[in-house]
Amino acid sequence: MSPMEVIAAVLLGSGALLGVIGGIGLHRMPDFYTRLHAAGVTDTLCSALFLAGLALHFGATLASVKLALIFMFLMFTSPTSCHALANTAFASGLRPWQADSKGSTPPSTP
Amino acid sequence: MKSHLILSIVAKFLIPLVLLFALYVQFHGDFGPGGGFQAGVIFAAAVILHLLVFGHAATERAIPTSILKVCAALGVLIYGGVGVAALLAGGNYLDYNVLASDPVAGQHLGILLVEAGVGLTVASVMTLLAYAFQQRGHNA
Amino acid sequence: MIDILLLLFLAITAIAIVRSRDTVTAVMLAGLSSLISACLFLLLDAADVAFTEAAVGAGISTLLMLSALHAVAPTKTRPRKVAWPALAVALLCGGLLAYGTLDLPPFAAPDNPVHQHVANHYLEQTNKEIGVPNVVTAVLASYRGFDTLGEIVVVFTAGLAVLLLIGRRRQEDQDDDAK
Repeated sequence: MSPMEVIAAVLLGSGALLGVIGGIGLHRMPDFYTRLHAAGVTDTLCSALFLAGLALHFGATLASVKLALIFMFLMFTSPTSCHALANTAFASGLRPWQADSKGSTPPSTP
Repeated sequence: MKSHLILSIVAKFLIPLVLLFALYVQFHGDFGPGGGFQAGVIFAAAVILHLLVFGHAATERAIPTSILKVCAALGVLIYGGVGVAALLAGGNYLDYNVLASDPVAGQHLGILLVEAGVGLTVASVMTLLAYAFQQRGHNA
Repeated sequence: MIDILLLLFLAITAIAIVRSRDTVTAVMLAGLSSLISACLFLLLDAADVAFTEAAVGAGISTLLMLSALHAVAPTKTRPRKVAWPALAVALLCGGLLAYGTLDLPPFAAPDNPVHQHVANHYLEQTNKEIGVPNVVTAVLASYRGFDTLGEIVVVFTAGLAVLLLIGRRRQEDQDDDAK
């Protein structure tokens, strides 16, 4: 394997790891906002690592340019959708769960 | 609808790109994956994004319902009209070979027109459905 | 390997749709199942179908279903009772369909009947007769132009029907307000 392929494999592997961590966080976090945090952060970095790994795999081709465009698109859309979700939830009255205010038991999952 | 600063700025940035991508899908359908159905749906998705972010009144000002209704019928009319044009040119219904002097050029022209009709109808109908649901929701 | 995994995901999503108590969740899961189907189509090298499924199934129909839920109040609770006769009918129907697949020719074999009829003509002659590189577009818009005309009329008629059913509501309300 050439060094480029090793780097690409490392990027893809860490992206997959972040995806799994995001999934676990989505499942285990106590309330909406913390879940959104888990989903939103990994949504951004995980996909960025994936796209970077794929771009390295393809080298300097048209596919890499398309991947870069997809990356730019995701950098705009995924934080925005995250913000829209959190903003709407807060505006409609959902308050963040706090350990000291409600005891240590997380609220029941929806 | 309340003003959402981040949403409206990102939407203003995204909507032209989505519309451009819809046009690319529409006219690149001969060469790669794509065509009227997908392009119409993507076009409608951009309009629905505008509808969700800026509210019904602003979108209605940009694309009035009356124009959409005409466009929905016009797309089917274009499709059927290409068939009738082929009939008048001496061929079978929807046989594009006779539309131009060269059969292959005729096929190109026919496919382009037909896909345009499909895209027009699909985009208009999807947008009309979104309008209808949106209005209904505000009254319910 | 990955197609079996995706089919497994598809089955899990379908069960999750059936088991979800919330209509919004069901709509989002339906969009997810469309996305998985699009991935499956892409694995089968059907880029056009995958594109359509992703754009129509996962994109716009999810959006329109959510708008429809916005119009009617989303329901939260559903009876959790298992309808045994319906389950029996569904199992019987699915079993018969699965039994029917036993008589199908082997998957993707080159001498299947479906590959003997007109597919070869389309694949070989499209470049000469139509002159577009994408055979799917040539079949859709030219060879099978009548079918596509039917499809577009169906889309138009469906939109017309929805508008006739709910599109006039606002007008009447405005008239009521004016009185």
